[in-house]
Amino acid sequence: MQAQPAPRANWFALKENRFVLVGILWFVAYWVARGLLERSDLETWIRVVAALAPVPIFAWFLVCFIGTIRGMDELEQRIHLEALAIAFPLGIVLLQTLALMQRAVTLKFEDWSYAHVWIYFPIFYFLALGLVRKRYQ
Amino acid sequence: MKNRLRVLRAERAWSQAELADRLSVSRQTINSIETGKYDPSLPLAFAIGRLFSQPVEEIFSVE
Repeated sequence: MQAQPAPRANWFALKENRFVLVGILWFVAYWVARGLLERSDLETWIRVVAALAPVPIFAWFLVCFIGTIRGMDELEQRIHLEALAIAFPLGIVLLQTLALMQRAVTLKFEDWSYAHVWIYFPIFYFLALGLVRKRYQ
Repeated sequence: MKNRLRVLRAERAWSQAELADRLSVSRQTINSIETGKYDPSLPLAFAIGRLFSQPVEEIFSVE
């Protein structure tokens, strides 16, 4: 009897791929919203909707992210946990330092607004991930 | 902790990837256990014991 070929895996069904795709979608949604908000002719309610639009996509990303973490083996889970343990306090100290600097000097809004500071959090996380992975190699 | 995982794996001529597949973990996990950089959880330690048909204490020991 001829062996049946294995069914092709649905690319989107794989947790890791879905997590990456939804992450990209979230990233794109942010930049679309940001581009839209550059226009000054939009009514306030549209601007608010645009600003909040990435949030449900982030919620979807978070569900996928948690699912991906739960599907990892124990060492990978530990690596991500240690990376979070480094990145989260770093994020806090960044915000705390900016809060104090704001009282010390006049910080340029163009350089240190929410729009510029949020990106440091994923940067801290990925840097920490790289450092922690090296430790277990 | 010390372990004899590398020795036991070599006796069966398994690669790290093969052993990882048998234990449903990543190759990185096997490598980290063998190099002493990571101590496995209790379920994984028992799974290793079952795979090699040896008690956990004969595979893992305190330094």
